[in-house]
Amino acid sequence: KNWDDDEEGDEVDDVDDVDPEAEYAAWKLRELKRIKREREAIEEREKELEEIERRKNLTGEERK
Amino acid sequence: MQHLRAIGQTGEVKRATVEEVHDRIRLLWERMEEERKGDVKTLGERLEVRRE
Amino acid sequence: MANHRADEKRFLDERGSSGPLAPNGLNPATIMEKPVRERIIDCYFWKDQCFGVNESDIVSRVVEHVHFIGGTYGDAQRPSPFLCLAFKLLQLGPSDEILEEYLGYGGEKFKYLRALACFYVRLTRQAKDVYRLLEGYLGDYRKLKRKGRMGSSLTYMDAFVDDLLVKERVCGTTLWKMPKREVLEDLDVLEPRVSPLGDIEDLLESEPEEVEEENG
Repeated sequence: KNWDDDEEGDEVDDVDDVDPEAEYAAWKLRELKRIKREREAIEEREKELEEIERRKNLTGEERK
Repeated sequence: MQHLRAIGQTGEVKRATVEEVHDRIRLLWERMEEERKGDVKTLGERLEVRRE
Repeated sequence: MANHRADEKRFLDERGSSGPLAPNGLNPATIMEKPVRERIIDCYFWKDQCFGVNESDIVSRVVEHVHFIGGTYGDAQRPSPFLCLAFKLLQLGPSDEILEEYLGYGGEKFKYLRALACFYVRLTRQAKDVYRLLEGYLGDYRKLKRKGRMGSSLTYMDAFVDDLLVKERVCGTTLWKMPKREVLEDLDVLEPRVSPLGDIEDLLESEPEEVEEENG
């Protein structure tokens, strides 16, 4: 049974619903952080596409 | 492989169906629930469990 | 024990040449790196608990033995039961229907089963399906224990799923390079994700401090 041998003495406790409100609040913070990151990624992507579009629209003369 | 064949294992494993997987999950969950109920200590609680 | 090795060798050889590829086009036998594969098929858990196992037995093994997520752990870099069973799934190649049992019905009851199935989905499914199947669990905040070389730590299902979606390496495995969400949105492959928290504009209006706090 050597795959279970260091189970005891482990300080990390993964039992859920000990403090449901705090667990929800902590999740909400993580989720907000993800949403913020996703929004930034989309803005970044939009800027990229705009730049590509701008370059495409330049005439040969303007590019020089 | 020879001794594995001798004890009925050929290295071929029968694929499980979705239903079998579902049933296994349900079975394991019910067993766990049973054990959890079995943990209750006082006589009163034990009678409570028996009545369920 | 040589018999087990022989058996795995056959799996690797078969998959390496003519065996079926995963839905994302990768060869399941080589999705994990060679040194990790070798550690897995050498370890006692693999030999004792992963032989002659089918898609149902996987559930029993997870419930009994998977109490943390991780790749290899400790000084000895022992492969975790989680990683061994992920390797077993690569070998079994469970159908989408069975995966949905692991993720949904089974995943509600046994969180480490959901975690394992999420990991496997990320390794083998196409990008659009990875997002479709996994993103719902960004709302699952059950705790998960994680073990690595540095010892144990606490994480959460949502954080683990997020890692699978954005990180390059998870649980001792280099994840295949998946197109980013915003690229798939541009191609109309994906709709924008809707958070369980609802309309984001409202949230940002009503709780600026909280967002600010998270900024740091």
